[in-house]
Amino acid sequence: MSIILVNNVHYTYPGDDMESLCGVSLSIEEGSFVAVLGHNGSGKSTLAKHLNAILIPDEGSVSVCGMDTSDEQLAIEIRRNVGMVFQNPDNQIVANVVEDDVAFAPENLGVPSDEIRRRVDEALKQVGMIEMSSHAPHLLSGGQKQRVAIAGVIAMHPKIIVLDEPTAMLDPQGRKDVLNTVMRLCREEGMTVVYITHHMEECVDADRLVVMSNGSIVTEGTPREVFSQVELMEKEGLTVPETTRILYDLKQSGFSVPLDELSVEGCAEAIASAF
Amino acid sequence: MADIIIDSLRHVYSEGTPFEKVALEKIDLEIPHGQMIGLLGHTGSGKSTLIQHLNALIKPTSGSVLVDGADINADKKSARAVKFKIGLVFQYPEYQLFEETAYKDIAYGPGNMGLSEAEIDERVREAAAFSDVDEELFDRSPLELSGGQKRRIAIAGVIAMRPEVLILDEPTSGLDPEASENILRNICTYRKKTGSTVIVVSHNMDDIARIAERIIVLSKGTVAMDGTPAEVFSEPEKLREYGLSVPSSTAIAMELIKRGINIQGPVYTHDMLKSAILKAKEAERC
Amino acid sequence: MLKDVTLGQYFPGDTIIHRLDPRTKLIVVVLFIVALFQAQSWLSYAAVLAAAVICMVISHIKPKNIFNGLKPMLIVIVLTAFLNMFYTEGTPVIPGWIITWEGIDKALKMILRIVLLITGTFLLTYTTSPMSLTDGLEYLMSPLKKIKVPVHEMTMMMSMALRFIPSLIEETDRIMSAQRARGADFESGGLIKRAKALIPVLVPLFVSAFRRADDLAVAMECRCYHGGEGRTRMKVLRMSASDWIALAVSAAFLILIILMKKLWSGV
Repeated sequence: MSIILVNNVHYTYPGDDMESLCGVSLSIEEGSFVAVLGHNGSGKSTLAKHLNAILIPDEGSVSVCGMDTSDEQLAIEIRRNVGMVFQNPDNQIVANVVEDDVAFAPENLGVPSDEIRRRVDEALKQVGMIEMSSHAPHLLSGGQKQRVAIAGVIAMHPKIIVLDEPTAMLDPQGRKDVLNTVMRLCREEGMTVVYITHHMEECVDADRLVVMSNGSIVTEGTPREVFSQVELMEKEGLTVPETTRILYDLKQSGFSVPLDELSVEGCAEAIASAF
Repeated sequence: MADIIIDSLRHVYSEGTPFEKVALEKIDLEIPHGQMIGLLGHTGSGKSTLIQHLNALIKPTSGSVLVDGADINADKKSARAVKFKIGLVFQYPEYQLFEETAYKDIAYGPGNMGLSEAEIDERVREAAAFSDVDEELFDRSPLELSGGQKRRIAIAGVIAMRPEVLILDEPTSGLDPEASENILRNICTYRKKTGSTVIVVSHNMDDIARIAERIIVLSKGTVAMDGTPAEVFSEPEKLREYGLSVPSSTAIAMELIKRGINIQGPVYTHDMLKSAILKAKEAERC
Repeated sequence: MLKDVTLGQYFPGDTIIHRLDPRTKLIVVVLFIVALFQAQSWLSYAAVLAAAVICMVISHIKPKNIFNGLKPMLIVIVLTAFLNMFYTEGTPVIPGWIITWEGIDKALKMILRIVLLITGTFLLTYTTSPMSLTDGLEYLMSPLKKIKVPVHEMTMMMSMALRFIPSLIEETDRIMSAQRARGADFESGGLIKRAKALIPVLVPLFVSAFRRADDLAVAMECRCYHGGEGRTRMKVLRMSASDWIALAVSAAFLILIILMKKLWSGV
């Protein structure tokens, strides 16, 4: 069942001449992990902000859990259902103590105190940050801060979590931790995840990959399907994983190899069997 | 020319307080003029502290940094002069842009050197060209430009001082693949044309593998590895121990060797991997 | 260098004083300050001093921390002491001299008063996290909501400011280093030259502060923030027995000081 339905959305930022989204349509299945890939300025962040009614389409419509985002009355309910995590971990943590920050959203929602306590502890456990619950956020690493931000969102008990380039400012370890955390939330807790990034390596385990460019969707499908379109990806200023790239080059030189092996082992296996 | 010698360098933050932290244990390094170096290390390994010692932004707790034989911390004057000789581009350098126009921002460094207007103008244009900043952008406010353009302007601002050594801390972080590629290409061209030393700090193994001639790995404030890419990337277990990985082409090559494919020589870039596989295939046919 | 700012710093701990309700501590500090200003005789000063020392001992705050915090106030302290010493009439220490015994007495008391005033507030901020301090303030000031004072907004801003001070300090350090690397010189030259040299630091700092504010506003909206209305709290403030005892003791102490003033004025 589709939990998010984006229907022919057009959007222009006030004061801009250019449309940032020009007719985007997308439907996202409940419980799936959808990665959105695109270069800077491709409209992927603009799309993200439409999913929780921060931006309202100029034309077309967005419906989330059956609620139309253009209905102002529903804004809070929509935001409770669609948690958002942003790029800069420093600019989304509001409190001076980790657990107080995680409590922020349930507090806004008027959840009773002892229920908040339960939710906060549960959320911090899910992201593996429970030991740091009384730490000051500015002493944490980037990856840890970002996991706190994720906890702050799941404490609302949302159905969907949208992450807008959550790893762009992190080191490889932090990146891995954040991606694993989100992947686990999707696979084990059944949360729907929309993961926006320009790191193609982070998309390989997604259920579906959507590629955006200049405000429209240029291609979508499983990561294997999308990455095997090497020419298209390169035209869009995106790279493909080294695994796909070497398979593509070898195929050009006459090897009979498939293009859709994304893991290092799978790729090596494919090349080896061409010998 | 600028030969750098780092001699028993040690740095301790907040010495004598409960927050005391040893950032650099004992660093001994020689960096002769003209090398292209990749500096690797896990977060907290001391990379940032080390590069800030090279232009006297941080003073050693003990030990010394010599440039062309002279201690850069000898007095205030030499500590300032070395900043023009050794240019340092911080991570997210676009956050330091402050002038109303891109041109003025690039001219800030040379202006601080006390050069003539004409000389400054020449350097700004030269640096902009190296860094792919279109002269049409000169009169624009840096604030209204894209992330990639801002980054290139900030890098030009350091290149405009014509440093003999250029150090860049994570020059591509946060940029999309196209913008990253552009910056790496510019760095390589700059190095080729000026012959200066370039030190790039990065987490991205694939980038470092492609551009560096020498790789230095820091771990817990000490030099853990130091050698050519071929040497360093031939020890994946060691790299993993320091919290790093091998380039993806090396990983694929290793898997191929496991599967009995005859991959010859070091492999750490895409092109090397491709030609190694093609050679192995060739050998098979014979 | 900028990281050494200790003003308003919190030293986490687990003493009775750390555990007291922030409202209690706020009221106790107010009572303490009132008592301090009621003290006139050396005996009552000694009582206030003893109270402060006892609190320091209980809360494990070292005198060193208090002295460090006092340093920036040194000039004010010395200046007021001097003025009091020179401008108080009475019996000169040496006949014909401007300094009088009364002046010295007053100056010493003034030093003690300022030091104790600062000590009292430091004890509050050292033992109470900024978050619970603003919480306590919000509760204590909540009657003001009735006369349309935006208490929630004010305390929200306060805690937000506290949250971002470390980030802004870190950022300032970073920008200063980056500009130094481009040859900026913050240390030499006259006042005007130095002020000018700060422009390359202040502009990026403001730009980034605005960007942060923007990001933060969106992030807060995404987490369903819509003002103080209907908001609940995870940590509800509860007065325990020790809070009531602390309040009772402080009130008794204040009465004692006032009595001392009435009974032995002039000792």
